[in-house]
Amino acid sequence: MRSGDFKETYSGLIVLSDSTWVWIWSALLAAALVCAPFVLNAYALSLLTLVLITLIGALGLNILTGLTGLISLGHVGFLVVGAYAYAIAVTKHGLPPLAGFAASGLVAALASVIVGVPSLRLRGLYLAITTLAFSFIINNVILEAAAVTDGARGISVLRPTILGIDFDSDAAFALLCLAVTVLTLFACLNIRRSRIGRALVAIRDNDTAARTMGVNLVTFKLYAFVTSAFITGIAGALLGIYLSFVSVEGFPFLLSIEALAILIVGGLGSVLGVVLGTVFIILLPEVVQTVLHFAGSGVEALFANGVHELKAMLYGVVIILFLRFEPRGLVGIWHDVKRLWVHWPLRF
Amino acid sequence: MSFLIDLTVSGLAIGALYGLIAMGFAVIYKATGLVNFAQGEMTMIVAYLAWTIATTLTGNVFVVVAGAVIGAAVLGLAIERIVMRPMLGEPLFAGVMVTVALAVILRSSITFIWDAYPHALDLGVGRDVLRAGGLSLRGAQVAAIVTLLGLLAGFYVFFRFSKFGIAMRAVAADDRAALLMGVSAARIHALAWAASSVIAGIGGVLFAMVYDLSPAMFALGLKGFPATILGGLDSVLGSGVAGLIIGVTENLAGGYLTPGMKDIAGFLMIIVVLMVRPFGLFGEREIVRV
Repeated sequence: MRSGDFKETYSGLIVLSDSTWVWIWSALLAAALVCAPFVLNAYALSLLTLVLITLIGALGLNILTGLTGLISLGHVGFLVVGAYAYAIAVTKHGLPPLAGFAASGLVAALASVIVGVPSLRLRGLYLAITTLAFSFIINNVILEAAAVTDGARGISVLRPTILGIDFDSDAAFALLCLAVTVLTLFACLNIRRSRIGRALVAIRDNDTAARTMGVNLVTFKLYAFVTSAFITGIAGALLGIYLSFVSVEGFPFLLSIEALAILIVGGLGSVLGVVLGTVFIILLPEVVQTVLHFAGSGVEALFANGVHELKAMLYGVVIILFLRFEPRGLVGIWHDVKRLWVHWPLRF
Repeated sequence: MSFLIDLTVSGLAIGALYGLIAMGFAVIYKATGLVNFAQGEMTMIVAYLAWTIATTLTGNVFVVVAGAVIGAAVLGLAIERIVMRPMLGEPLFAGVMVTVALAVILRSSITFIWDAYPHALDLGVGRDVLRAGGLSLRGAQVAAIVTLLGLLAGFYVFFRFSKFGIAMRAVAADDRAALLMGVSAARIHALAWAASSVIAGIGGVLFAMVYDLSPAMFALGLKGFPATILGGLDSVLGSGVAGLIIGVTENLAGGYLTPGMKDIAGFLMIIVVLMVRPFGLFGEREIVRV
């Protein structure tokens, strides 16, 4: 039995995982996910795709909220911007989808600079306030700029063909989302263990101390915000393709809350936590609906009319319960279980 | 010219409502250091309570208003005791996220407890149009302005002279020192939540009397929010006054620019205020010592 977790080299300290088993399990999970689209039925496949897209967006928010400790209440704004950038570039101007994805990320990043520069100079909750304002302003801007965005009519988006590969079928599109998710996962893990990631965590834990250690607060906060918006913009493009139609109504404010719920439920700042939280939050309404189905038709009918409200209420309750009883989130529970498994019957 | 005056006067009327809600934000911020993102939802719940009293019990305006005030106080106390008190001492992030979660819960509870259709809160008064020198305002709009001015005066006296008001300022300035002086921070927080709920609730009832009740009424909180930022998050009186400014600005922007500008004028103002004077017009400049 290992008596402790000793690191002797710097590269050993920052390696993604020092356990062979973690790599093996991850590879098996990846293989299973690659095979899944060909096995699952249409409904399960669409849930899987939604989980993957949500995961990308949540990973984006995690850089800002989880690592840097800044709250954004308007991240749905960057989803909308990304989705519209893709739709305008690809559907209206006929650019290749890859250029569309680049545009969705870059335009969202640009928007984040505009929002971030005035608000990131300040400490505290101001970013939450300006992003909240941004998510409402951007909807208005989209509706007003009908010449570019088609206003309230929205833009329909087709499934893309990238580098000669046709992603038209549901299975192929799920695989595309999987590929982008894996890329994002590695990007986030690598950001976390680099100088930048450590600087962001230092800002989160104590910004005065971080500043004393030579971390430029404004630069690094802006960096976190822009990266976060870039990733969220790409998630927005994928969500637009998934919905096959981009409109202001397709991106309700609840998505911002959903993303925050994912981070809190999963465990702030942990990439594994984001994955667990996403699966939990996306499947929660499904599970509750199944339970209600057995509870009786009266209850089911009551909630059938208000799926959106039921979801909102669930997210709210889950956020409050986790903050109150398990602030470390699912990843904290996972660590406890793991420790118990390894050390039982010893306490530690 | 009369267009300008019309816009200004109706802007003042709606601004008074924003001011009431902004005062609700500021009271909680001043006492607890939290931005209560559920303010708009609490306002909406109180308005629905008033509507329920008006339709089931009696339409008497005094009974309805008294019932709404009591209901609002109970709502504020319950939220503080059940949801917020356990979060005392937790990081700011946790407290704020709890209010965000509370907001979505309250917002969706409207559809389950009441319904998703708009209703008119008809108390027999308040909808009648008063005319004076070419101006016309509804009774409830005048009542909103009068209420705001009354509350502003009341809060000035409260913070200046009453024991609770001074204790509240003490907790806001330094909660640890206040505790050492024998001020119960928990009781001050409870008082702040109840007071905020009542002030914003009155705004909600007046809003419902002029316009209609609907589950979209929570957006009123988003409208009151710019006023708090402009006035200063920790300045109750400033927030109330800034509500009037926001109301007029919004109306002028809607009247002279595009109608869409009316909805976002307040938010644009937030961004400008944060760039130029982040502590607001009347707020206290935060000095950080390391």
